[in-house]
Amino acid sequence: MPIDIPKDKWPGSIKKITLGATAAEGGTRAKSITLGGQTTLPYLHFEAPTPNSPAIAIEIKSRKPEDWSPLLAEVWGEAMNDPAKWAKKAEEAGADLIVLALMLADSPDDAVKAVKSVLSASGLPLIVWGPGQAEKDNELLVPVAEAAKGEKLVLGICEDKNYRTIVATAMANGHLIEARTPMDVNLAKQLNILITDMGLPADRILMDPTTGALGYGIEYGYSVMERLRLAALQGDSMTQLPMIVTPGFEAWKAKESKVGEGVPESWGDWKARAVHWETLTAVALVESGADVIVLRHPESVKRVKSAIEELVMA
Amino acid sequence: MALSGIQIYKMLPQTNCKECGFPTCLAFAMKLAAKQVELSACPYVTEESKKQLAESAAPPVRLITLKAGTEVKAGNEVVMFRHEKTFYNKPGLFLRLKASDADLAKKAAAADAYKVNYVGMDFTLDGFAIEADGDLSAAVKTVRGVSKRPLILISNDPAALDKALSQLAGETALIYAADPSKYETLADTAAKHKAVLTVRGDSLEALADLTPKIQAKGVEDMVLDLGGKTLGEWLTLSTQARRLALKSNFKPLGYPVIFFAGQNGPEKEPVYAAQAISKYAGFVVLDTFTPELAYALLVLRENIYTDPQKPIQVQPGIYEINAPKPESPVLVTTNFSITYFSVANEVEGSGLPAWLVVTDAEGMSVLTAWAAGKFDAERIAKAVKEFNLAEKVSKKRIVLPGHVAVLSGELEEELSGWEIRVGPREAVDLPAFMKQALN
Amino acid sequence: MQHTLTFTGENIHATITVPTNTLLADAAQHAGVDIGQPCGGQGRCGRCAVQVTLGNARRRSTLRLSPEDIAQGFALACQTVVEGDLAIYVGPQEKIERRLTTDRVVAEITVPPDYDYDQVQSIQRVHLDLAPPSLEDQTDDWSRLQTALRTQVKMEKVACSLHLLQTLSDTLRAGEWQVTAVVERNIQQPEMPMRLIEIYPGRVDEYSPLWGAAVDIGTTTITLWLVDLVSGQVKAQVAEYNGQIGRGEDVISRIIYSSKNGGREELRQRVLDTINGLLDTACKRVKVRPEDVMKCSIAGNSTMIHLLLGIPAGNIRLSPFITSVNHPPLLIGSEVGLAIHHEGTVDCLPGVASYVGADITAGVLSSGLEDSENVTLFIDVGTNGETVLGNRDWMVTCACSAGPAFEGAGVLNGMRATTGAIEEVWINSESLEPTYRVIGGGKPKGICGSGLISLLSEAFLTGVIDKAGNVNLSAKTKRVREGSHGGEYVVAWGTETETGEDIVLSRVDVDNLLRAKAAIYAGFTVLADTVGVPLESTSRGLVGGSVGKYINVEKAVQIGLLPDMEWSRFEFLGNTSVKGAYYALLDWRRRERIGDIARRMTYIELSADNSFYDAFTSALFLPHTDMTRFPSVAQALDKT
Ligand code: SF4
Ligand code: FES
Repeated sequence: MPIDIPKDKWPGSIKKITLGATAAEGGTRAKSITLGGQTTLPYLHFEAPTPNSPAIAIEIKSRKPEDWSPLLAEVWGEAMNDPAKWAKKAEEAGADLIVLALMLADSPDDAVKAVKSVLSASGLPLIVWGPGQAEKDNELLVPVAEAAKGEKLVLGICEDKNYRTIVATAMANGHLIEARTPMDVNLAKQLNILITDMGLPADRILMDPTTGALGYGIEYGYSVMERLRLAALQGDSMTQLPMIVTPGFEAWKAKESKVGEGVPESWGDWKARAVHWETLTAVALVESGADVIVLRHPESVKRVKSAIEELVMA
Repeated sequence: MALSGIQIYKMLPQTNCKECGFPTCLAFAMKLAAKQVELSACPYVTEESKKQLAESAAPPVRLITLKAGTEVKAGNEVVMFRHEKTFYNKPGLFLRLKASDADLAKKAAAADAYKVNYVGMDFTLDGFAIEADGDLSAAVKTVRGVSKRPLILISNDPAALDKALSQLAGETALIYAADPSKYETLADTAAKHKAVLTVRGDSLEALADLTPKIQAKGVEDMVLDLGGKTLGEWLTLSTQARRLALKSNFKPLGYPVIFFAGQNGPEKEPVYAAQAISKYAGFVVLDTFTPELAYALLVLRENIYTDPQKPIQVQPGIYEINAPKPESPVLVTTNFSITYFSVANEVEGSGLPAWLVVTDAEGMSVLTAWAAGKFDAERIAKAVKEFNLAEKVSKKRIVLPGHVAVLSGELEEELSGWEIRVGPREAVDLPAFMKQALN
Repeated sequence: MQHTLTFTGENIHATITVPTNTLLADAAQHAGVDIGQPCGGQGRCGRCAVQVTLGNARRRSTLRLSPEDIAQGFALACQTVVEGDLAIYVGPQEKIERRLTTDRVVAEITVPPDYDYDQVQSIQRVHLDLAPPSLEDQTDDWSRLQTALRTQVKMEKVACSLHLLQTLSDTLRAGEWQVTAVVERNIQQPEMPMRLIEIYPGRVDEYSPLWGAAVDIGTTTITLWLVDLVSGQVKAQVAEYNGQIGRGEDVISRIIYSSKNGGREELRQRVLDTINGLLDTACKRVKVRPEDVMKCSIAGNSTMIHLLLGIPAGNIRLSPFITSVNHPPLLIGSEVGLAIHHEGTVDCLPGVASYVGADITAGVLSSGLEDSENVTLFIDVGTNGETVLGNRDWMVTCACSAGPAFEGAGVLNGMRATTGAIEEVWINSESLEPTYRVIGGGKPKGICGSGLISLLSEAFLTGVIDKAGNVNLSAKTKRVREGSHGGEYVVAWGTETETGEDIVLSRVDVDNLLRAKAAIYAGFTVLADTVGVPLESTSRGLVGGSVGKYINVEKAVQIGLLPDMEWSRFEFLGNTSVKGAYYALLDWRRRERIGDIARRMTYIELSADNSFYDAFTSALFLPHTDMTRFPSVAQALDKT
């Protein structure tokens, strides 16, 4: 018997945003990446195709991080000492873009140098994170934004207590920003409103809803993202932004990934588990609507990439 | 369609007689809307109203229970998204074994014994799917020798199934699978043994044609295999089936679905299984058993199926912020996630190292928890002891949130030898407080 | 070109010649005519309206004027320019303000028209003419009085206290067998014994006042009305912060405090001190003694009533939230510890549950919600943020902890709505300079609830704070500065204030106000969702609370405290709880209806799931995260 499949027709859609600028667009990137544009819930091709595939970013740091899992140190090896080399390796590992996380020890000059070296080593679009302390973030990101004017970087991370400086410099230098809120639909919307109130167009914001990792609150992140996406499709303009998620950071913080000793036997093989942890966290977030997925381990990159391909394929 | 409290209220007598145990008819109606009481508690509902209310309450996805020494339930779901209400019945995780496998007993035993603890709960796999590439009955016997968990029998040979199922008297097994070309005899076998029958088809249309026919043969309990060769295809099919059941109240597809995660090889299996868990599968069959994968999937399943109406919590414990040293200050807060985040973020953002003790306040914020008696001196002291804080720090000093300044006296008594300080009321003021007052 | 303008009005006669395109406000100033410009001439407040009775003027903005206003010649002085000779009438400011703005002023208290002292008042004063005893008639004094009560005023079975017996013989003789008795009767059950409260020697004028008091024990503010039970009129109104406030701002802190050693007795004493103090003040005002008050009706949330009566309140807080008593029996003044007549009746009104007390049942009664055909929303803008939604068929209610901010407590420069309180603020969107109005007209001491509402709204509309409440430290004014609690805005410099200290709005205050308004707004959105009634479909919004003597609906909507409905659908009732207590004090039937309301209300527990929290964070923004709920504010933002 013929079946009448219920299809959703949504009044809203996700804004299209472009990261990175090629020479023609006023930057130096080999290519730029366009995200968003969805008019349905993720990958429901019987309603509409997925206009832009989600992108995978690999997170690198301006200096070798001391607190990363030995498993990560093992795969990235020497490259961790040099952001330019690291970026190149990340590109080889299949990244669509690079996240460069600046560190507390960086001076503004260090930061600018690191960003420039990554920009020249790799042609991928770049996201730059401050070290995560309001004052320091402002101190480092402003010179970085100025030095990379026109590259359409994504500057992060804006939070509700500290958004003015970063937004202002992004506006002045033609960059985008990453707006992070702690796992709450309303807070995510509110920050977007505050930022657009300053005059930054909404299509220069990536929202980062904070997700938690598998076993560590991913269900909240998952539902917050589903709700944000539903709200966006229902026409709420302040949620119609592509979402960036950081399963790499989240999963590698978890004991399951981070350590191999002193854990229950039932947890199984460390390395395989660590990759599962990052991959499953990432895939769950892809299913709930993530547009940029920031990962750390090359094996996870491979698996998540293949999952995305299967989902995007009509 | 679910009715609202007011809609139900209009069907009640509106006399506020209290016999149902609620003070007003409206209170009762609201509980009814939330499915927390039975309609029968009100003795005065008219037949007409009863009928209307019953219709609105029937589950759109049939509840299927597989039974042996343990039970697995699937179905009875009422929402597309977990935040709308909750997902109720966690999909059963089954391991596929081959009847011909010489190591059958060993493999089954290992998987059966697997148990992992996650935040105080023990998780296991739910059962086995036995593929009849050899003697099915013998294999069933072997598996039953080492496991009491429910079984899925993969065969379309009625005779073999009949024989195997005869050994499983008193159990409810799942047969895999009837398809349009051969369903009658399998339906008879299922009916005879009160087994659940999987129905397989090339399309949703084919499935929808078949289930009423099988139902006509006396089999009410079915499970659907929707097909689907890629993640994308399966996502589409399972979304469509769930929508038809929930939104269109389309009975022919109102059954739980089964998904084989290993169909495209072990590389893809973890991701396939993960999608099935979050996207509506009732049963997930794995080809591979490794502890690390089982653990990850069991945790994912638990996460997706937790009740989202419960407040968002973080795990109680001691959180290290900015690599604290033994002499770094100790802050205390509750495990409500937003509370935790605002405290952790402020401190993290300030660059000051600290130990953050997160107590189990059942996911309430400081004030609410304190109001409800879930954040008091006793509980804080308990947390301090349980997490062995004394071993980590050299300076025995605890900073209480300013909102619960009143607890400081009691806490001093509970934690003798510790200095109790009252911090600011708001997290924003923490960095300044830590800089000025804690040196 | 030059034009001649003539200003008239009460004590105003001025003429001046000005060139074309002169602003009316400037012209008036030159002519020496004082026109107040609260918003600093931005055309936002509408307070500078004048009436152009003759001639041509061009109105740049009519934002504040209705078509009828314009038809009548009204124009905003700050927004209107001269284009010809004009005759201008400058009306009394007060009148224009009321007409032009959206302020909702508490209506005067009127005695219910059906009040009939003889029929519905439980306290009766009767005059008795006793036959003097003699050697022939040796009936004892008490029996003699009883006989008179029975035969002369048909009062059977009257009980009497020992104290009265002790003074009886003197009183009878002092009055030469003419006495006036005050008796409490049970109208509903006339067969029940009556109670003699007092006898006075001699005859008292039938129409002279007989005193009663209606009291609302708010968590933050206690209000007392002194009432003449004979005429039903309110003769004095007084209010003061609840003396318990130093022991915790909300009910939970009080409960916890009361569970400590000696805490219960201390809190009881504190609330008694406040009430007795108020009683004293009120009585002094009408020159009577507190002992002359014969009856006291008390409304208050369940915790306040428990604490007043010294009943353990601990279980109110803990699941399953059970009170000791929802409906206390009638008590007498001396046992409660009130300074009214020691035999006077103390009637604590009935509540519904732990968190919906007699303050709400009384409030619902006085608001008339229980009687209305259409769905009505009743909001108490108070510490416990109680909300009731319903009509005569059904009522649901909830309570959310909003805190005392709107009563001026817990805010750095907050105060009650008394003399010296800033009750309205306007901020110029260009200069960011404020203008304000002070109750009583003198120097400001602080800001009351209505002032805080308008201040928050103005700060938000002019960008002094952002929608999340962050003070914009880069704003170009020296009034914005870094204070000890983060950013702050100076409303009044020390040189202008009573205390000599700056009056500021600090970041912490903004947070408190935001939380309070978010809790209240979230409460009624959840309530509406639970019963499945859209908020917009409510026909009336009744607003109660001790925020001040008026509430500016527009400002309250702008900060997202009240839902964005037509302003005319709101009614500001002020303290509805004390009003309910007043009705109960007067009229036994109304007293009964409060009990009936308590039985009919359905209490919704907000902590049962996440929906309240979600609604709360959503409302924790100016005016709200979901702007589609506030279309009129979106419009106003576009204009400023
Ligand atoms: S028993 Fe029925 S009629 Fe009586 S109160 Fe309950 S719902 Fe209403
Ligand atoms: S509108 Fe003219 S002064 Fe405010």
